[in-house]
Amino acid sequence: MAADRFPSPFDIETPPGAEGWESMYDWYHLFGPERRELDEGRFWFADRLHHPDVLHPYDEIQCECWWQALGAFNTRIFAMPPSFGVDQRIVNGRLYVTPVAAPAEQIAARAEEFGRRAGHYYERWDAIYAEWKEKVTAKLEEIRGLRFDPLPELEPESTVYEHVGHSAGFRMIRDFDRLVLTMYETYQYHFELLNIGYAAYLTFFAMCRQAFPDISDQSISRMVGGLRVELYRPDDELKRLAKEAQRLGLAGRLGGTEDAATLFAALRSDTAGAEWVADWERTADPWFLINTDPGHPGGYHTYPTWADEPEIPLASVREYLRRLEAGESIDRPTDEVLSERDRITAGYRELLADEERATFDETLALARQVFAYIEEHVLYIEHWMWATFWAKSKELSRALAAMGEFDEPEDMFFLRRYEVAEAIYDCVAGWSVGSRPRGADHWRPIITRRREIYEALRAWEPPPALGPPPTQIDEPFTVMLWGITTSTVSEWLRADGDAGTLRGTAGSPGVVEGPVRVVTHPSELTEVQPGEVLVCPATSPSWAPVFARVAATISDVGGIMSHTAIVCREYGMPSVVGTGNAVATLRTGQRVRVDGSEGVVTVLAPADAEPDGAGRSGSP
Amino acid sequence: MSRAGGPAWVIGLDDPAAADAAVVGGKGAGLHRLVALGARVPAGFVVTTEAFRAALGDRTGDLERPLRALRPDAAIDEVERAAAAVRARLLETAAAGPVLDAVRAAHDRLAGDAVRVAVRSSAVGEDAVGASYAGEHDTYLEIRGAEAVADAVCRCWASLYTARAVSYRGHAGVGTAGAMAVVVQEMVPARAAGVFMTLNPANGDRSTVVCEAVWGLGEPLVSGAVTPDRFVLDKISGEVLRREVVAKPRRLVRSSDGAASGPTEVPVPPDARERPCLDDAELAELLAVARRVERAAGVPQDGEFAVAEPGGPEHVHLLQTRPETVWSARAPRAATAGPGTRSALSAVLATLTRGAATPVASPTPTPAPHEGKPDHGG
Repeated sequence: MAADRFPSPFDIETPPGAEGWESMYDWYHLFGPERRELDEGRFWFADRLHHPDVLHPYDEIQCECWWQALGAFNTRIFAMPPSFGVDQRIVNGRLYVTPVAAPAEQIAARAEEFGRRAGHYYERWDAIYAEWKEKVTAKLEEIRGLRFDPLPELEPESTVYEHVGHSAGFRMIRDFDRLVLTMYETYQYHFELLNIGYAAYLTFFAMCRQAFPDISDQSISRMVGGLRVELYRPDDELKRLAKEAQRLGLAGRLGGTEDAATLFAALRSDTAGAEWVADWERTADPWFLINTDPGHPGGYHTYPTWADEPEIPLASVREYLRRLEAGESIDRPTDEVLSERDRITAGYRELLADEERATFDETLALARQVFAYIEEHVLYIEHWMWATFWAKSKELSRALAAMGEFDEPEDMFFLRRYEVAEAIYDCVAGWSVGSRPRGADHWRPIITRRREIYEALRAWEPPPALGPPPTQIDEPFTVMLWGITTSTVSEWLRADGDAGTLRGTAGSPGVVEGPVRVVTHPSELTEVQPGEVLVCPATSPSWAPVFARVAATISDVGGIMSHTAIVCREYGMPSVVGTGNAVATLRTGQRVRVDGSEGVVTVLAPADAEPDGAGRSGSP
Repeated sequence: MSRAGGPAWVIGLDDPAAADAAVVGGKGAGLHRLVALGARVPAGFVVTTEAFRAALGDRTGDLERPLRALRPDAAIDEVERAAAAVRARLLETAAAGPVLDAVRAAHDRLAGDAVRVAVRSSAVGEDAVGASYAGEHDTYLEIRGAEAVADAVCRCWASLYTARAVSYRGHAGVGTAGAMAVVVQEMVPARAAGVFMTLNPANGDRSTVVCEAVWGLGEPLVSGAVTPDRFVLDKISGEVLRREVVAKPRRLVRSSDGAASGPTEVPVPPDARERPCLDDAELAELLAVARRVERAAGVPQDGEFAVAEPGGPEHVHLLQTRPETVWSARAPRAATAGPGTRSALSAVLATLTRGAATPVASPTPTPAPHEGKPDHGG
């Protein structure tokens, strides 16, 4: 790799066996000769925060949702002064992105527009957010209400007697459109508040840094955070279930290792056990509607939710119960975090000039308001909406497979959304006519080939970035969301640098040493031992219980506002985020020092034996 | 042992009378303030200005005659010769009489011969904001025994008339010498020592305490002879924001032989060279006491400290503190771009139109050349 630039996207070779991968994705998502001049001059980085792995063709929907919605809100609706949207391209199945800056000469005019438009939202933030929750909850109910069943041999009598006037086949076509459009609509709402929220949050950061050049990001975050936001509710529910189990005298019976189905069946045999299982089931909707992706939650259809795999939340409940039985406290020290927040805030505020304290107060108040949204929207959109969207997509895939359109349900996810619409039409036409769709015979060779391509693409190690890096990365969202800074990029360019040291963003302060545990899939979380250093692509709220066990966390992606950094600060545990390649570099069992204040990971000793579970996991 | 009704010749640092700088000099009063704040300072006493006057009787006027004879544009060597004559007269006059007996007795009460003391001049008017007498008067370290202490006290008195001090007074327009108090304190057997400032002199950040330290005694650091470890501490969160640890091959220690040979330089054991010379607990203690001193003084402070063997927070001693003079004269750094950006919305706009994620350029004027490290007092 040249020292001053990353490979051109037009020089990236197709991995052996992946020839023809382009057919898996929409043409407008690919690098093409028409845009070569534009695209070769841009700096693209791999969006491992949201999409750390190869995209299934169907899952391209996830990228499209935010590609368009983020762009429209920044560029066209709020006129974010320095930033247009974030452009996307897919290369070898991986998503690369580049933030598009607003032309310098437009910034002043855009700032004026932004002041009026975003100002309207800031003034009414809490009321608008309350409306927002209603809008999104209504959309959630809408897609929960969709049903995809195999089409009936004969329509029910109600179709006739209630004068429905259309067929189940038509409704399958219509409801797939509704499913996709509703998800797209919700993603509009996602960005309705997100980036103007971040802008206010960033402003408080900038203000603190200007007054106190030495202040750490963690101190600023602590002044804003510590709120009891709904994002922590799922984990709190697990703790509550653990306490309930203890109260009901079930600790011994939950202490085993049997799977959830066996355990629940056994518990149902008496009153106390049945009461607890009923509590679990009530809690599961909606609080276990939690995605377990190691990156951005809900980014892929392949990861189960807690509700899909009750072993995941059950393992957490068992861990909490074990700690309760050992006399430990499992509550997050919320009151301490809040009083520490107030103490820190008062301390810095006191050091400001008198005439600036009012601005500080006002900006902090706004930052705290928007912060609740920044954290909570993840629950509404990334978890509830996406989990439901994927569940409904799977329901559709089962219906189509049952009708012979596919050999197996998973086949559907190897088709782009437009192709799925085609498949539905083919299936519905055959059903309607009483004839034979082209169906699985048509798709079989296409899907077989794409499965091969998919595997070949997974073996490819994507470069962290493409094209010429800018001399300075100061686009605020890139820095804060992706944790990518000028020095990160220099580090990437020095890929052959010191193998004993990894650098990232200082996510949560403190220094600890411990053995590495590489985790790339939530199913591996049960292997984590107390005192280990968790190394992962990224974390999501569904991983929360593991934070009670580990000594430190290192992530490949994320900035100071990533889930990993936020949670580690809450737990008072060091973390280094956005290292880029910790998962690929570190091995389970290696001893490392994690300096969360400096953002540095140092390898102290190699793993003794062959690594177990090191590197990329085989399971998607 | 003093004139009936007048101030004592010798008083303890914790004596309420030690609050009066006219009696104990600037350094003595500063140490008294630290003691009153509950800060740990080395045990000691002050030989007051009253003692100085008593020792010289009514002869101050006589003593200064050679200086008064100088023309205003006298050459440096003339000043030096006149000052030396004054010092000789002063030593001769002060050597006898009950005042030095009182000093010897106070020394014996403090320590006896087992402990070494530092004897420091404490002039009236020094260490005031705006006029620093840094290094103009003498300090004697590692003094052992009552006789040696009495002798060092006399030499401190005489240092009122070094050529340096005489010229400085002329330059600063302070006029006649006035009176000199002397502080006698136990020497802390320093495992590490250094200086601190309750703001970052590199950027004026008042949320930090910057501290520099070396193994052993602090003098090589204070005189700028060695590169110290450097720590930037956050006053509010208590975090160690930066920790710049350098190789420290040599350190100054008190000599093992006897009284007179003074401190000696020895190699630092190899395993300690690259180690930070202050640990987190010591830094936390230093931060706490620095904040207390700053709060009490109402303006940013700088100061010197030493960590006695065997180390640990309970062995952190303050040696002296005084007001920081460069940044204290300015307003705190601005958080906003000025009066036009004092609403949250205008702050958001200002952020979005200038690239928020990069460090924002300082809106405060660049300070006078200042090396980005604490100003070492004398």
